[in-house]
Amino acid sequence: MSESWEPRIVAFVCNWCTYVGADLAGTSRRTYAPNVRIIRLPCSGRIDPRFIVRALEQGADGVLVSGCHPGDCHYTKGNYYARRRYLVFNSLLNLLGLEPDRVRFAWVSAAEGNKWAELVNLTVDAVRALGPLKLYAEPSEAAPVLQSSSEQTAGGMPAIDTELAERGVRQAARELLEGGDAELVIGYVQTPNGTVVPGFVSTPAEAERLVWNDRCVHNLTTYLTGERIGANGKVAVVVKGCDARAAVALMQESQLDRQRVKLIGVECHGVRGECGQLADKCGACELHTPHICDVLASADGAVSRPEAPGTEPTSFPASQRVKAELAELMAMSPAQRLAFWRAELSRCVRCYACRAVCPLCYCQICAADRNQPQYLAPGSDWKGALSWEVTRALHLAGRCVGCGECVRACPQGIRLDLIQSFLADVVQRELGSVSGADPQALPPLSTFRPEDPEEFIL
Amino acid sequence: MQPMDNAYKPHLVTVEAITDETPDVRTLRLTFKDPNVAHAFTFRAGQFAEYSSFGDGECVFCIASPPTRKGYVECSFKLAGRVTTALRDAEVGDTLGFRGPYGNSFPIETFVGHNLLFIGGGIGMAPVRSIFENCLDLRDQFKEITILNGARSVADLVYKQQVAEWERRPDLRCVCTVDPGGETPDWKGEIGFIPTVLEKMAPSADDTYAVLCGPPIMIKLTLQTLAKLGFPPERIYTTLENRMKCGFGKCGRCNVGPVYVCKDGPVFSAAQLATLPPDM
Amino acid sequence: MSQTPKMLKDLGALAGAIMASGVSVVAPSAGPGPSRFRRLASAEELAMPRVNTQLPPKEHLFPPTEPLLRFRYRGTDVELTDPPLPAEKLVLLGVRPCDAAGIALLDAVFLADPTDPFYAARRANATIVAVGCARADDDCFCTAVGLSPHSSYGSDLLLLPAEGGYLAEAVTDKGRQLVAAHASLFTDAASARAAAPPKLQRASLDGVDEQLQAAFADARWAAIAARCLGCACCASVCPTCHCFDIADEASARSGVRLRSWDACGLEMFTKHTSGHNPRPNQPARFRQRVMHKLSYSVASLGRPLCVGCGRCISHCPVGMDIHQAAAQFATSG
Repeated sequence: MSESWEPRIVAFVCNWCTYVGADLAGTSRRTYAPNVRIIRLPCSGRIDPRFIVRALEQGADGVLVSGCHPGDCHYTKGNYYARRRYLVFNSLLNLLGLEPDRVRFAWVSAAEGNKWAELVNLTVDAVRALGPLKLYAEPSEAAPVLQSSSEQTAGGMPAIDTELAERGVRQAARELLEGGDAELVIGYVQTPNGTVVPGFVSTPAEAERLVWNDRCVHNLTTYLTGERIGANGKVAVVVKGCDARAAVALMQESQLDRQRVKLIGVECHGVRGECGQLADKCGACELHTPHICDVLASADGAVSRPEAPGTEPTSFPASQRVKAELAELMAMSPAQRLAFWRAELSRCVRCYACRAVCPLCYCQICAADRNQPQYLAPGSDWKGALSWEVTRALHLAGRCVGCGECVRACPQGIRLDLIQSFLADVVQRELGSVSGADPQALPPLSTFRPEDPEEFIL
Repeated sequence: MQPMDNAYKPHLVTVEAITDETPDVRTLRLTFKDPNVAHAFTFRAGQFAEYSSFGDGECVFCIASPPTRKGYVECSFKLAGRVTTALRDAEVGDTLGFRGPYGNSFPIETFVGHNLLFIGGGIGMAPVRSIFENCLDLRDQFKEITILNGARSVADLVYKQQVAEWERRPDLRCVCTVDPGGETPDWKGEIGFIPTVLEKMAPSADDTYAVLCGPPIMIKLTLQTLAKLGFPPERIYTTLENRMKCGFGKCGRCNVGPVYVCKDGPVFSAAQLATLPPDM
Repeated sequence: MSQTPKMLKDLGALAGAIMASGVSVVAPSAGPGPSRFRRLASAEELAMPRVNTQLPPKEHLFPPTEPLLRFRYRGTDVELTDPPLPAEKLVLLGVRPCDAAGIALLDAVFLADPTDPFYAARRANATIVAVGCARADDDCFCTAVGLSPHSSYGSDLLLLPAEGGYLAEAVTDKGRQLVAAHASLFTDAASARAAAPPKLQRASLDGVDEQLQAAFADARWAAIAARCLGCACCASVCPTCHCFDIADEASARSGVRLRSWDACGLEMFTKHTSGHNPRPNQPARFRQRVMHKLSYSVASLGRPLCVGCGRCISHCPVGMDIHQAAAQFATSG
């Protein structure tokens, strides 16, 4: 590090409060560190965490984010949404192991010229002490291996006969097709060599092709949106409890019209994971019976149309193993955590399998596919990989239902479940929201409470 | 240290001149910074290049100027996305990148001694212009030359300056047309879609080679008209536009059937096109 | 040139000897994530898989992202710099014959004129030591595409499992040089016979290139590809997928032009800036994958671009199966 290095800080500030406050610092002839470049936006609600990451990618050593005090937003609510977003983003940065002082959030009003000056000085001094951004430099620590990964398993497969439920699924599909409630049923079928895959049947006779067993691991609700086969017309989809949560999340976001889409719930006691044992997510499952569906195929063969098939889930399905791994991670130093995540996330090759399987990744044009503007760093070097992983994690925060498909799909075995479980825990603990539970609820980052936590904001 | 032969590294070019052909089509005249490259550079009409705006990326356009005019290359492009926006923002004196020439070319040797019919629609006039002016520069090697230049409207006609020169020449027939509704009160040219006007012109297919380029729908309909007029597919040439990246057959993007449009094209005869699967 | 068959007793010993001579060994070994080829820190790290690694060795010749060019702005001028050429000598040890064939096919793409200098440098510095298969799994189908579990295509040195070790066949000069450099490890093996290659379950795809060509407009593609999600998982695990994108990443002062893996399965692959997409739906895109691998490449390269490793099948989150898809057209004649 050369003697002459000075921190370069980018500040994203809102036009109506902080920018005016900074202006006031100037007109008051308040002297303060010159290391900050201000980018003015209409509102802190417009500040996308991607901007913050992009600033770091483009060479900033630190980022300052500031807007009006909650309650004083020029657009009434913008900073309330921003506050929740910053909470989640700040937590993610903590999980990833970025030094906390590099990205700082504050409320600075138009009258707080002195606060602005002090804030800048504080930030510059803190970043100067940390040195230039090391996030993209060669890792300084060897990547730790999580001990908890091997210590815990989800357990053995339950000895439940799925044949009766299978008949129930076929019957439910047949009845919906015969009755005209569905023109297409999305379910599970078996290929000639016995692999269970998603299948699509459109006549009552074809319903016999549907299967139900412990290899029905896919989340079929992913076919309900976009250009997928179930995005239009009258469709029925077979859902396990975890899949029904995704359906509920889609309902919350107005992406699933219950007039058009019928849910064939099936009682599930676990599916097999990659190694042939019980999948990790099944170890923490509260929903052997989906809490929402139109038709239910029970394990005893009954086919019913219950009003309330099951009780709403109360938490994110994070297994004991995941919880132990997260505890182990958070007990490490930030530098060790960063080394862990670097080894983990830099395996990403931007294949977007995670995005493709996820029912909640349904944007017509993904942020990763835009180059006007270039929201994400391209490529799958560490910078590009982190760009994608952070963006996706944040876009799913509070929405992800923990179906585990992304981890299953990832050809690099990246522990996306750890990130989403961590963020889901933050969202439940701090914002009181559980994903995929109540169809009437709003996704947590689409709403706010005036009393939302903000201890981390200066 | 031995300099690497980096196939991905463009030549540096300077923007010499800018012409706005239409509100959204611009032509850049580029000269090579390296005098050795400038001196040695040759290409054949129909070839293309990858043009760089460093920091924004690369984009493929044909080389619009004819190879017979030395000292510069020209490209014409329509404003569409990030790279074309950056190219449009370039000023005279700015530095861009040029990687090429790539691809095959129009078989001008085969055209020698024959009649030639050129048809260009909109920005499709750019590749047509290269081979057309190449032939004009060697005028006495060809028999009758006709060009049909069409666009949606008068404002969308490209190469207005060149067209004015072509119209003045007694040794070729130049017809311009705009789509119905695209004419201005003082428009003297034809009014009608290219296939319609072409049929009205009824050029003889005898001993004639046709070159056409334009939007996919125009190519499709014009090929039908040419067939009606008796042109055999072996004597009709077009140049394809595909999304391309590397420009020389490695990135896979322009693969259509067994060919790469960048390497085995972009110039194809209608007969060759008929053998390719229809996903282009 | 000696024609006496040679035996190698122990792969680990070969790895150790190569490393001792100052050359890196990249071989199957344990580590975070799926099984793959990694740089060995010691010969003990070598861990040959039962059938094959989950990820192919192609990332060591064709990395997921690499710089092609660096540039620096100087007023209205731009200064270009070539990135340094990779210079590390290495031995890719434990490559299965399907993956070795994959490397030969990547050679056909990247070494063709104009040569890709980055791939060429890595390739020149790499020696491919293939190890024949003793076992196959349900997704393997190398024999269906004209290869075999004991094929030497693409390798410099082929080691076939035999009693007491491996029967060594030096295929190229590089292979011969490697054997000569570690001659003490290779003993004469006059009467040794390689173990029989495993039998593969999946049917032959002989002649499928022509059948597929005739099937371009077949209505069955929609049903075959209905569940395809349009990700690039298959391409990323494929030993021969070589499609890439080029994008610039720049700041106000300088930047880099990066080459990154891309895939025909992704919607954006052929999408024009105008919005027109020649392959506008997933069946069209999946069809392109099958055609490119099993039909078009036969016309342009002389053999399928698919080596039958089966990874795309086992990794696909929804079980898309290129062999099953192609076989449908084969049996219908």
